Amino acid sequence: MRPGTLVRLALAGTRTDKVRVALTALSAALATLAGLAALTVLAIPTPLRTDDNPARWSLQYANTLLREPGLRGGTAFALLLLAVPVLALAGQCARLGAPARDRRLAALRLAGATPGQVTRLAVLETGVASLFGTVTGLVAFLSARGLLDRPDAHGQLALPTDVLPSPVALAAVVLGLPAVAAAGTALLLRRVATTPFGVVRRAGRDRAPRPWFALLILVGLAVFAAYHPVNSWYRHRDMEPPLLLLPMLLVAGGIAATVGSVLASAWFSHTAGRLLHHLARGPAALLAARRLTADPWAGSRTFAALLAAVLLGGGAAGMRANAQARYDIERAEYRLIGDLHAPNPFYLQTISLVDLAVAIAVTIAAGGLLVALVEGIVARRRAYAALVAQGVPRGVLGRSITWQALAPAVPAVLLALTVGLLLGRRFAGPVRTGVVSGKVCEATAELCADPATRERYLRTIAPPKRYFMPDVPLEHLALFGAGALAAVSLTVLVGLLFLRASTRVEELRAT
Amino acid sequence: MTELQARGVVKAYGPTPALRGITLDVAEGEIVAVTGPSGCGKSTLLYCLAGILRPDAGQVTWRGERIDTWSEAARSRLRRTEFGVLFQFGQLVPELTAAENVALPLLLAGTGRRAGRTAALAWLDRLGVADLADTRPGEMSGGQQQRCALARALVTEPRVLFADEPTGALDTLAGEQVLGHLVRLSREQRTTVVLVTHEPRVAGYADREVMLRDGVVDGTGLGIEVPSSGGPGRSTGGLGLLVGDAGAGSVQDGLR
Repeated sequence: MRPGTLVRLALAGTRTDKVRVALTALSAALATLAGLAALTVLAIPTPLRTDDNPARWSLQYANTLLREPGLRGGTAFALLLLAVPVLALAGQCARLGAPARDRRLAALRLAGATPGQVTRLAVLETGVASLFGTVTGLVAFLSARGLLDRPDAHGQLALPTDVLPSPVALAAVVLGLPAVAAAGTALLLRRVATTPFGVVRRAGRDRAPRPWFALLILVGLAVFAAYHPVNSWYRHRDMEPPLLLLPMLLVAGGIAATVGSVLASAWFSHTAGRLLHHLARGPAALLAARRLTADPWAGSRTFAALLAAVLLGGGAAGMRANAQARYDIERAEYRLIGDLHAPNPFYLQTISLVDLAVAIAVTIAAGGLLVALVEGIVARRRAYAALVAQGVPRGVLGRSITWQALAPAVPAVLLALTVGLLLGRRFAGPVRTGVVSGKVCEATAELCADPATRERYLRTIAPPKRYFMPDVPLEHLALFGAGALAAVSLTVLVGLLFLRASTRVEELRAT
Repeated sequence: MTELQARGVVKAYGPTPALRGITLDVAEGEIVAVTGPSGCGKSTLLYCLAGILRPDAGQVTWRGERIDTWSEAARSRLRRTEFGVLFQFGQLVPELTAAENVALPLLLAGTGRRAGRTAALAWLDRLGVADLADTRPGEMSGGQQQRCALARALVTEPRVLFADEPTGALDTLAGEQVLGHLVRLSREQRTTVVLVTHEPRVAGYADREVMLRDGVVDGTGLGIEVPSSGGPGRSTGGLGLLVGDAGAGSVQDGLR
């Protein structure tokens, strides 16, 4: 097949196919923006040490996260994390209109295309759409860079608009992302056999999920919690831990706990389905129960990004509680010695940025959720249309879809918040009192300054050293939990708008 | 008694006319086959009679009550309680078992789960698929699925059964079995049946045939008289005899 024909066939299709291509391109563009932002932060050069600048800060920036070299790695990592829900959104988009695409590919096989050609078509569709997205993302990034390059009154920049990643790094993002997306599609298609009679999915996981996720979460928490003891062990022996050991403990523990929490949603889906089936009286709950037990892994796929974001939010809430307690203690102890200045709120501000990132991630994840929900409705449109034609009120179908979304989401969100909180509290560690000490003058300034009377009137104040864990930040956790569930509910409401269109009588005659 | 009446029914999809003034009476307990070539408006007429679609002009009455002016909710309730609907394919909910699919209309009417299942099992038994009660549609053949769908359409014991190409996706043998059950059970319950088909063989099971062409009635005729030893016919009553042995040839001969 000629390359031109291949591209033309790859991008042909129905309106749903075009929506899928557009959403894939949009996801790729968003991921490109996140990737380029992270690379730009890493591209900031660290100046040489001077007497004026012994900490080697990049003083051209107003934001501490960009100014301090030690914080830039974490900032870039946080920006890259934003790409996770975006990639999850891309994964959901790839499933959009799958039945129609399967029929189109089967028709191509019937017309004489080989299995390899059909696979190349599907891979090319994803690759071309992603490439279009990454190029668009690059253009948007370069345009925004020019527009945002506005130094403030002190000549400092809010964003690193004065640096650009190397051409190799730019090319790696713009060309690498489509290559990865195409490779992912090819990998997924290994489980699919496209025959002239349709698409056959090779047998996958059809067993009920087992609660192994709990083990994964416990292992993740244990590995993560090992950070402080391992660090102390080396410090007590005046040794430096191996370079990557501590970051690896955090990353491996965090990933294990996150994957465990995501897999938990499959078990929750299945268990919620079984419970609903036993307890439910109405047809809406019965429909939801059967769908939940029929494909519990769909819950994991659908909620993965949302749960990862919620888990991060739980962690941020735990760390905020710690930072707030430290801030309050520091301020109270400074006041005890008569110093009324406010401590540096840097960590609290940084956690506010994390909260913002979580809100953005939840929004993007809700987009993926919406795509999955609409796809689920559209894929069952003929059965739904038949039910409506037989007199089943659309409200029953709407309630079943709502049950289906919320029944696993509520426990999964609660678990993700708990795991995130435990990770955040483990990372932040206990809060210490007695961080400030000083002398307080209990007479006039002259008496306190006079060497003869100073000893009598100057009192040393040193609050006792005590370690404690701050209270569980229920308010923040409730905010994240309610926000995530509100996002789920909102996507259900928007998704239900598609229900009417998908239950029209015309669907009964569609092939 | 006249069960259903259509008077000057007109329906168009955008600029394309589907029905151009159809007038039709269906008597209580009668089996009427609506036939005609593809695109002649058969299914549109069935949807209008069943209250699924609202005609652009004309009237549809059921037992003397005009239903085309009813609200969507009222027509849905009517279909749920008094009508049964059977389609060509894709009508069973894939995640529900056969028994749950059949019990669904009863659950919607407020019947308890246990009672709903009992009724569903009885209907599946009458249709010869009781052993599939806990099987999902994806694990059944087309004919088995259609028998479950027929059980679901009849479980509320409707006054009228609307069937849109009920055998269109089945092979000859499975089609004969489904039609045999459909006609036998309808006769037993005195259910009125409106059957849409483009197959003369299927129309042969009806008491009367209404032929459409380009959205108008092109002619009507009686169902095909066949020997009492088997095959479809208007006067046999016990058409369960037909299961598996209906002579398609004799039906087609009769139509000529």
